[in-house]
Amino acid sequence: MIYLLNRSVSFAITLLLISVITFAVTNILPGDVAMMIMGTQSNPEALAGLRESLGLNDPLVTQYLRWIGGMLTGDWGTSLVFKEEIGPLLLQKMTASSLIVVMSMTIALTAAVPLGVWAAVHRDKWQDTASSTTALLGVSLPDFFWGIMLILLFARALGWLPSSGFVDPGEDFLRALKHAFLPSLALGLGLMAHLTRMTRATMTGILAQEFIRVARAKGLPERTVVWRYGLANAIGPVMTVAGLQVGYLFGSIIVMESLFNYTGMGWLTYQALLNRDIPLIQASVFVIAAVVMLANLIVDLAYVLVDPRIRLG
Amino acid sequence: MLDDPKPIVSIDNLRVEFDTGEGTIVGVEDISLTINPGETVCVVGESGSGKSVTSLSLMRLVEFGGGRITGGKLEFRRTGGAMQDVAKADMDAMRDIRGNEIGMIFQEPMTSLNPIFTIERQMTDGLRLHKGLGARAARARALELLREVRIPQPEQRLRQYPHELSGGMRQRVVIAMAMACEPRLLIADEPTTALDVTIQAEILALIDRLKRENGMAVLFITHDMAVVAQMADRVVVMYRGNLVEEGPVSQIFENPQKDYTRALLAAVPRLGEMTGKPAPEPMRIIGAEARAQPVQAPRPDAAPVLEVRNLTTRFAVRGGLLRRRIANVHAVEDVSFELARGETLSLVGESGCGKSSCGRSILRLVEPTSGSVHMDGRDILALTRQQMRLARRDMQMVFQDPFASLNPYMRLKDQVAEPLRNFGLARGNDLTARVSQLFDRVELPQSYLRRFPHELSGGQRQRVAIARALAANPKLIIADEAVSALDVSVQAQVLNLMMELQADLGISFLFISHDMAVVERISHRVGVMYMGRIVEIGSRAQIFENPRHEYTRALMAAVPIADPAKRTLRDDLRFKPLPSPVHPLSYAPAPSVYEEVVPGHKVLVPDH
Amino acid sequence: MKGFLNAKGLIGIVLVSAVLLIAIFAPMIIPAEFATKMNMRARLDPPSLEYLFGTDQLGRNMFYRVMLGARTSLTIAVTAVAMSVAIGLPLGIISGYFGGLTDNVLMRLVDTLLSFPALLLALTISAVLGPNLQNTIIAIGIAFTPFLARIIRGEALRVTQMPYVEAARAAGTTDALIILRHILPNIMPPVIVQATISLAFAILAEAGLSFLGLGTQPPRASWGLMIQASRDYLDVAPWTALVPGAAVALTVLGLNMFGDVLRDVLDPRARAGG
Repeated sequence: MIYLLNRSVSFAITLLLISVITFAVTNILPGDVAMMIMGTQSNPEALAGLRESLGLNDPLVTQYLRWIGGMLTGDWGTSLVFKEEIGPLLLQKMTASSLIVVMSMTIALTAAVPLGVWAAVHRDKWQDTASSTTALLGVSLPDFFWGIMLILLFARALGWLPSSGFVDPGEDFLRALKHAFLPSLALGLGLMAHLTRMTRATMTGILAQEFIRVARAKGLPERTVVWRYGLANAIGPVMTVAGLQVGYLFGSIIVMESLFNYTGMGWLTYQALLNRDIPLIQASVFVIAAVVMLANLIVDLAYVLVDPRIRLG
Repeated sequence: MLDDPKPIVSIDNLRVEFDTGEGTIVGVEDISLTINPGETVCVVGESGSGKSVTSLSLMRLVEFGGGRITGGKLEFRRTGGAMQDVAKADMDAMRDIRGNEIGMIFQEPMTSLNPIFTIERQMTDGLRLHKGLGARAARARALELLREVRIPQPEQRLRQYPHELSGGMRQRVVIAMAMACEPRLLIADEPTTALDVTIQAEILALIDRLKRENGMAVLFITHDMAVVAQMADRVVVMYRGNLVEEGPVSQIFENPQKDYTRALLAAVPRLGEMTGKPAPEPMRIIGAEARAQPVQAPRPDAAPVLEVRNLTTRFAVRGGLLRRRIANVHAVEDVSFELARGETLSLVGESGCGKSSCGRSILRLVEPTSGSVHMDGRDILALTRQQMRLARRDMQMVFQDPFASLNPYMRLKDQVAEPLRNFGLARGNDLTARVSQLFDRVELPQSYLRRFPHELSGGQRQRVAIARALAANPKLIIADEAVSALDVSVQAQVLNLMMELQADLGISFLFISHDMAVVERISHRVGVMYMGRIVEIGSRAQIFENPRHEYTRALMAAVPIADPAKRTLRDDLRFKPLPSPVHPLSYAPAPSVYEEVVPGHKVLVPDH
Repeated sequence: MKGFLNAKGLIGIVLVSAVLLIAIFAPMIIPAEFATKMNMRARLDPPSLEYLFGTDQLGRNMFYRVMLGARTSLTIAVTAVAMSVAIGLPLGIISGYFGGLTDNVLMRLVDTLLSFPALLLALTISAVLGPNLQNTIIAIGIAFTPFLARIIRGEALRVTQMPYVEAARAAGTTDALIILRHILPNIMPPVIVQATISLAFAILAEAGLSFLGLGTQPPRASWGLMIQASRDYLDVAPWTALVPGAAVALTVLGLNMFGDVLRDVLDPRARAGG
């Protein structure tokens, strides 16, 4: 319970730091919101007036406090490009992207864990070489390149799946899955390669431990030794690495959603960046970092369930 | 030994090879031995002798470590009475033997148990597999086993996870696990090497009792001749993958046939052999007589080199959001002693007793909480960081792990030269000359000057570490378990070197060790530590011939003696778990009060 | 495994040196206009003897563009990683060696920065500063710094706890000399390995940034830009994507293989028995 409380307070502090960093990074922009609204050719006096009324002449600290205050009270401002309230916009796009993130993680883990264990068990044999080589190829290809290949294969050549667009899962779940599948697969392949390497390394370490030898000395079948005694110990570390990869995924969706015209969080962020939509940039960068943080917090808390040693601390 | 017509194990000309990146390494070249029912065979040898590989081969576990049995027979008598060559057995047959007909325990109790399964799960899975027991029956048998290995509150233990148990308790669980299916052979691979001496005594007694009660044969692998003397019926001595000598324990100890066995036995100090001797004696090394006699007891009137008063060191236990200090580990608690010029004072005790922290506190490698340390009359604890750096010229340290105490990326001459450079004691040709003198001094060839640490053996590295400590002509050297990681023959050489240096240079040693027999041989005075305090301090004779404190006595009773005629294994198992040294911030321990039995012999007054 | 290891190392070294040689010498041998010369009659020509890798939508020779793109990618990756190591090394060493409050504050900051996806951070910085070569380097360099600082701090902490550092302290060595003689040489092998692997990630990041138009700007040749340009012609001219994609993949593969082998050779923990 104290552990939980500690983690929550620590999370809140980090969130605060995230907001400061986000605000700082976006405020080194040359140009400002007033310029964005009125255009570069606008009348300097009108611009000055707008600046005054938007509070852009206030010290940065005041501006930051006003911004964070707005975020806390639910007033996230209006997007300059989409002319929409940012709060609901982000919520909708985040839901769309969650589908991709969850799907790609599922694809990656389902394949990576057995592959990594298999490679670790057959360490230094051909199985290991095959698995390691495949994984190495996987991590070496840029994921947008995977995306293009998948479009060529599944959308153009075979025509099985759509190559672009987004469908709201609330309207038609099956079609939503179909549209999300290719971008998820493209992301999942690179991630899988990475997680395979990690699982192999973790399992290799675990299989070299004394308790594995003790289990073998008890006469337990190799199956039990590896998949029960071994894997149970690998779940925690692999989960942690997978959690860290949520951050990688939220970076990659910017590329992938643009490639597939999938209008999720990544696509939205990209539009905001291209159009220098400062309020939207601030809000989406903040939200992405916060979600990544949250994912890692959840993984840390889940670790308690798989490792009895954490309970005391 | 008479040839028993029905041995349980018969190994003939075993050869085991390992394929490594650098080619094939022979782990065992040619070993033959037999084990009869109900007897304990000890396989003894120094590191690299192939003793563990032999036992792993018998279980065919050696293959999981990259080894291959490339020759010989490994016959094991199965339950039906027929001999089976396990070198040729298939994996199904092996699984039927492992844990069922042969049980095995390993060196590291801390890592021998799966950290995320309960004790119950780990104790019952073998039973369910081999004996086909149901959950309830397996649990009942597990409880019975825990009682048999004398673990208190067995019901509660079953629900616990390994990290909730102490090291000694875990090794008992591992033994109970190995005993679960009533194997006819128990293989114990260095089962007590990682344990403290009192716990070692308990575990050895336990294995001996289980063997007697169950009529089980034991194959006991160890490097420790004292343990062999206590445990063995028959002894097999191994060296570099080959059999050196084999025979009944009394014959091996009283009338060894081979030079190697004789040398090995000679180098082992035997607790009690120094009784009545006035001064330390060099270690026995066959074929290499010690050059200098150790220093006699120093003059009592000499002003002490080192004076430690009420030294207390506490480490913070941090927690909470701001990582504030929420509790203290009381590592060193009100410790006082003095050390004269040319004297060796040993601090002895079990792991966690604070002996290492005490040594580090004196050098201020950890900052003491309170107390005073005077070196030649100068208050060390009052010095600034810069002054302290310079003061270290007079006090140097030699660490335990010879593999980790030298920088792997630095040439040996530069490591030895480091103190000379730091204190500006020599430069240029003078520096080179000083370093090569130091190499001579610790008997290392000059050709080693330009080498890197990985090119040296453990004993050679420890010589380099000593040369480095000597470089600045210190008055005091703190040797923290400096010979504990070395094989016994190398240990003897390094100890003799230290005693010679003391005789020649008048250096004082603070010798921190867990090894009572070594301490008895080399010390002028001895302090016994327990729970951060010195419980008893006095001359070597006072401590070893007239121990007063209850803990000193317990410690001495637990030390195995390298003499099969003096077996000390007793089946009286005391469970005295070490109390926790962690206390809340408000905890103020009472000061250490001593009673002086005779001049110089002080015993901590109990009850505080 | 040994054979594989050697083969892997050999392939890695060959790939990395090939890309390095191309990056250094291609711009000296190939006149810049070869890569920018448009030929409207030869638009989207498939690979042939004349156009080894085919042509793009403007009829430019893909072979020259890929060769020249190597320097762009490598320049950005190497400078950006050098920048993160240059910032991360002192921060990480100070944090790991001295510990205490400095360590707490620095690592809290690093952890926070780590929750920003590196690509998002790089994109944002690049968009904010205005995309060009120099800003792409800065963006990737800053985005990679927290990760490297974390790794270096961990290594410095590990080495600081080694007995030989305690021995050096006991021998009266100053902090500055301990860092210089003991910490630095011992953390360098893992740091070099990490830097090599970071180079691979930096190449990927540059490709991603350029693909989104927030990295290298046309007309400079960049593999990411080429892949972006190919998107509309995938059906008719798949080589326009495959050629630069293969260039990225081979470079990154080479760096990863090289990094793996470097780890086996340099990292003492990977060496059996020390």
